[in-house]
Amino acid sequence: MNDEIILQHGLTLDEFKVIKDYLKRDLTIEELGIFSAMWNEHCCYKTSKKWLKKLPTSNEIVIQGPGENAGIIDVKDNDGIAFKIESHNHPSYIEPFNGAATGVGGILRDIFTMGARPIATLDSIRFGEISTDKTNYLLNGVVHGIGHYGNCIGIPNIGGECEFDQTYDYNNLVNAMAIGHVKNDSIFYSKPKTIGGLIVYIGSKTGKDGIHGASMASDVFSEDDEDEKRPSVQVGDPFMEKLLMEGCLELMSSGLIESMQDMGAAGITSSSVEMASKGNVGVHINLDKVPLRQPLTPYEILLSESQERMLAVIERDNNEKIKEILKKWQIDYEVIGEITNTKRVVFSSNEKIVVDLPVDIIVDDAPEYDREFSLPKKRKQRNFDTSKLNIEKMISNYMNNLNYLDKSWVYNQYDSTVMGDTIKEPGQSAGVVKIHNSEKAIGASTDCNPLYIRINPEKGMMYTVLEAYRNLIASNIKPMAITNNLNFASPLDPNIMGEIVLSISGLSDIAKNLDTPIVSGNVSLYNQTNDRPINPTPVIGMVGCNSNWKKLLQNKFIKENDELIILGKSLDSDFSPYFLQDQKITSSICEFNELLAPDIDLEIKTAKFIQKAAEKDLIQSSNDISRGGIFMSLIKMTQKNLGFSIEVNDEKDIFCEYSAGYILAIDQKNKEEVFSILNKDQIDFLSLGQVKLNTFEINSKKFNYSDMLNMYYKNFYKLIN
Amino acid sequence: MSFKSAVITFPGSNCDRDALTYLKDLTHGEVFNIWHEESSLPNVDLVILPGGFSFGDYLRSGAMASKSNIIHDVIDHANNGGYLLGICNGFQILTEIGLLKGALIQNKSIKFLGKDCYIKKKFDNKFNCNIKDTEVLQIPVAHNEGNFYCDQETLSYLQNEELIAFEYCRGEGSIDDGNINGSLDNIAGITNKNRNILGMMPHPERAYQDFHVSKDGKKIIESILS
Repeated sequence: MNDEIILQHGLTLDEFKVIKDYLKRDLTIEELGIFSAMWNEHCCYKTSKKWLKKLPTSNEIVIQGPGENAGIIDVKDNDGIAFKIESHNHPSYIEPFNGAATGVGGILRDIFTMGARPIATLDSIRFGEISTDKTNYLLNGVVHGIGHYGNCIGIPNIGGECEFDQTYDYNNLVNAMAIGHVKNDSIFYSKPKTIGGLIVYIGSKTGKDGIHGASMASDVFSEDDEDEKRPSVQVGDPFMEKLLMEGCLELMSSGLIESMQDMGAAGITSSSVEMASKGNVGVHINLDKVPLRQPLTPYEILLSESQERMLAVIERDNNEKIKEILKKWQIDYEVIGEITNTKRVVFSSNEKIVVDLPVDIIVDDAPEYDREFSLPKKRKQRNFDTSKLNIEKMISNYMNNLNYLDKSWVYNQYDSTVMGDTIKEPGQSAGVVKIHNSEKAIGASTDCNPLYIRINPEKGMMYTVLEAYRNLIASNIKPMAITNNLNFASPLDPNIMGEIVLSISGLSDIAKNLDTPIVSGNVSLYNQTNDRPINPTPVIGMVGCNSNWKKLLQNKFIKENDELIILGKSLDSDFSPYFLQDQKITSSICEFNELLAPDIDLEIKTAKFIQKAAEKDLIQSSNDISRGGIFMSLIKMTQKNLGFSIEVNDEKDIFCEYSAGYILAIDQKNKEEVFSILNKDQIDFLSLGQVKLNTFEINSKKFNYSDMLNMYYKNFYKLIN
Repeated sequence: MSFKSAVITFPGSNCDRDALTYLKDLTHGEVFNIWHEESSLPNVDLVILPGGFSFGDYLRSGAMASKSNIIHDVIDHANNGGYLLGICNGFQILTEIGLLKGALIQNKSIKFLGKDCYIKKKFDNKFNCNIKDTEVLQIPVAHNEGNFYCDQETLSYLQNEELIAFEYCRGEGSIDDGNINGSLDNIAGITNKNRNILGMMPHPERAYQDFHVSKDGKKIIESILS
């Protein structure tokens, strides 16, 4: 096997030597394909593994941590919540509609593979400067793709984030998260139990879509190019996924199958290898039995990433009954192999063995790197001149920046109310759905503050998690666990590697402090084009619960004359990175001050107070303070004709970022009681003003109420067209 | 005698469970879930064709479902005077069967539309008789093809025969600027001539519980039961 082929498969020559020394023979091309698929960053986390091990992944509520298709937490009474986030960045840049759609499809399969019925999705999407046609095309395609897949299969999208920044000009990010509900005694795992059990293939036929590195395949393996030049982005069919989901959930509840694994990245290769590895068994699969859409070589079958496919293990006796169930759902079903006791992965075709490898070398001997990394330089402290800003200018700067505006252009393309259990739709602090036939509310939020992380990866990561935490608290959802999607540029650059190492360290610290373990996740590296890296973007999805949905807090004003108070500490303009950037004070990353250390004790203390007061029905509504400060938080709280009148010392303050920041609206009759609890708990607060009809008033300066709301709700539509 | 109802499930239906829950909670009677391949319906007072993407919306929304096995019995049920309600994809299926006039084409915005909308009653029928003429209902929509279209002759027929059940409006009730998807005459729902079949794009089954955006969706079942 020549060096060129090895390198084209993404393996280094050193890695190849390890394999060859172990096997003491040459590899078949199919075997090389398997290593290429299993030893890449996406499947074996070779760069991040060393650091990911430091994350807290368990506590008394974690039923399943990282390592399965999704993490699962216990929300009591035999109810479990399965969730995970995953990226589809690269495919979404090449083909935004299908790239994004199949991202949603993949993450939903991860959920129902575990026996959980998906009950919600969220997303986190990032694009470059909107002024370019390319960004507009990507935004339209990605949103259309996410919407199309989720709407069709019928899972509500309940929230997410959408950011624009020039570092994503050539690398947009698409992270999709899904949440499912499962009975804790009915969880399915990928570990097979019975030697001699049949391996069955369920779902769409296998085609050429998604075969890794289509260019490689066409250069080396094919004579007739025409056919090979089909794009390597997978094509999704949500209708097929709906049938597959219903079929699989019916199979799982019938007790006819013993384990299941979805065919995601690296298709049949990774799913069968993982099965063998989890069960400490072997697999023997006859590739001639795989249902095909078109003639394919064994190599292509092994590496196809065709969508909507599952692998399951069943006892022989159940074969006919399973066939019957899947016939109803019109799904392809084929016995393609069996579980062996050899601890080897064997694939045959045409009565010839094309792959015969010990599971150990593929999984346990996968490379793990300790890449060089550098720590960020110490920052000089400086004071910024903000004297040129006045309130009109500050309002205008935020109201003409996509990142601050209402994103209904995006989320109105998603079905947020299907399944009938949605309590909080996108546009609020957190998305919330009810577990069907129960009083329990499950809330979630996806977040990342890339600019903070760029300035200081460790502290910035903490701010990111704390923002998600506040999003849940502001709705009175108890934060419980985290899924993460670590999007970074090339780890071969020690500076980027430093961002990875430090942000994982920050994530680890804050997760321990908040007792919110990381139960699932995904890593996406090499998000850079030439010398232009993306901002470090480790997105987190935080999930929590309130056992009684009636105790949830609203995020909008409820009635006139309610008292408005502020909790938390202002970061002041010199230490508010988004304020400085978006009020156009500085855009140079080296000029920002070091981030202030987040006040974790204050965050926890404040959160506990809000939960306590909410359970006693003492708070009318609340909202957290994030990018855009008190000002943006207040605008989001207005509804119908309910506006506000506030008084502040320094107008600049209401545009700055906060630590542990919340705005609470309190009924006048509860004011004294709330203040006395705050005093008793030793939590500082500031009176801000009152809810007022049709009013938008700051320090006696009156702005036109409907003009302001129109800007917030309509400017996004204007700016992208 | 207690009220009986049924929901038909096609491959790709995704509001069938929502419709079943809606009927169970509001009729307190027996509710059947019928698979599209069944050849007969149980004896029921009301049949719902639920929302979703039956058969993946391939060919045209509702086109393949309109040829399902169970449809013969659904037609018989309606011809015998039984109530038949098509919601969203169910409305599309009813126009494909030909039980309702017109067609649902792609939204004017050429985008999927998922949001709360406001509708009000236009002409009286058994599905909206408990709703006042001036009342504004807040109910979610979620569709890509909800833009009601028909020829001028049919539109006049629907107007003259008073077969328009609901029209889109603004929150305060005015029809101007209330049209969310380009539908002719703001049409959100129509009936057949006998007024025992209603097709509507908004989802009443997503607007009846305490945590929903409103409880206005209740009024349709309450009207039928009254």
